[in-house]
Amino acid sequence: MYNVFFQKFNQKVSLTEQEENVIKQYLTPKKLRKRQYLLQEGDICKSIALVEKGVMRSYLVDPDGQEHITAFALEGWTIGDLSSFHSQLPSTQNIDALEDCELVLVSKSAHDELLKTMPKYETYIRLLITDAYMALQRRILNMISLSLDDRYKAFIDTYPNIAQRVPQHMIASYMGLSPETLSRIRTRMNTSK
Amino acid sequence: MLVVLCIKIDTKMNTKQTIAIIGATGNMGSGISKNLSAGNYRLLLFANELSKLQTLETEILAKNPTADIELSECPTEASWEADVIILALPYPAQQQIAEKIREVANQKIVISIANPLNETYDGLVTAPDTSAAEELQKLLPNSKVVKAFNTVFAADFVQPVIAEKQADAFIAGDDQDALQTASELVVTAGFNPIIAGGLHVSRTLENMSLLLIQLNMKNGYKWLAGWKILHQ
Repeated sequence: MYNVFFQKFNQKVSLTEQEENVIKQYLTPKKLRKRQYLLQEGDICKSIALVEKGVMRSYLVDPDGQEHITAFALEGWTIGDLSSFHSQLPSTQNIDALEDCELVLVSKSAHDELLKTMPKYETYIRLLITDAYMALQRRILNMISLSLDDRYKAFIDTYPNIAQRVPQHMIASYMGLSPETLSRIRTRMNTSK
Repeated sequence: MLVVLCIKIDTKMNTKQTIAIIGATGNMGSGISKNLSAGNYRLLLFANELSKLQTLETEILAKNPTADIELSECPTEASWEADVIILALPYPAQQQIAEKIREVANQKIVISIANPLNETYDGLVTAPDTSAAEELQKLLPNSKVVKAFNTVFAADFVQPVIAEKQADAFIAGDDQDALQTASELVVTAGFNPIIAGGLHVSRTLENMSLLLIQLNMKNGYKWLAGWKILHQ
């Protein structure tokens, strides 16, 4: 139920069995079926979720009703609207399940309590957010500096598992491209192999 | 002294919450299931007898074809999927079910509706310094136990407004977010929520229910009765 959560945690910060048991008291195991929401726009993000099994995504809907995927999360990844989670103000994003999922949720109150009482949790969160910041920076830099073909190649190289689990039109949405443009990029890359 | 607190109840949440109702086909469980099916909830209904569950499902869908309900074959699975778990079970069944859901109910809201009545309905089987809800909290130490729906009768779910007064439904618990969520459920079920205090106030709420049951039998209210706080 918490295997992946603690595997990921221990990769960043090593825990004793006793410390794992303390943290377990604060975790919420949650199953979500495909297409069910963890969060909908306008609600406050009350938990951050680690994916034990399945795939989640976050997206926002622009004023024209167009969906823009902002993140994917596979097994071992964490997803949530960090701004809404920290500010406890309504979120502009939606988070739903692309497959049947098993999640481990950390609520805001559990998160705050763990930050206060367990220095190893604070270290884990710091490293988690640093990684997320670096990924975000890489994504922005790629958008600014790379050609479309290289951006797609960088995406596939960085996240090979996502491309196998998520439909192409969602990857196009994540990259800010139309499905047709992504299709042309893929055709070009296949013919140039 | 019963401390009555008032809070603002906002039920406009977009994200659909999943509610597991364990013991959905009992008198109370079916009333709760039917009334909550009208809200923005996904209901996972569990009971021991599948045929009774199917009858309940038919009844709910006949009244509300868009109700988001699903029959569950396992209380543990239902509770794992749920955000909120309602134990619509008699007090003696509490311990056994708590053992089945303990792990998956970690950090979740668990609503205790049980009144620990003795066999002759003239007393409670719990000691004076505890309550069914507090005993449940001991069994589920990492869950957020809330007492709710124990002061209303099953018939009140069909008719929550009695003699032109909306019946009050008292709530007790120690977690503010859990009290807010329970209040929203009470509103959706048709009652006026009153947060009475911390979980220890369940002792008073369970005794209020005992008194109402005794008065019902003595005065022939036909189980259509409820508590109402009158105030300015």
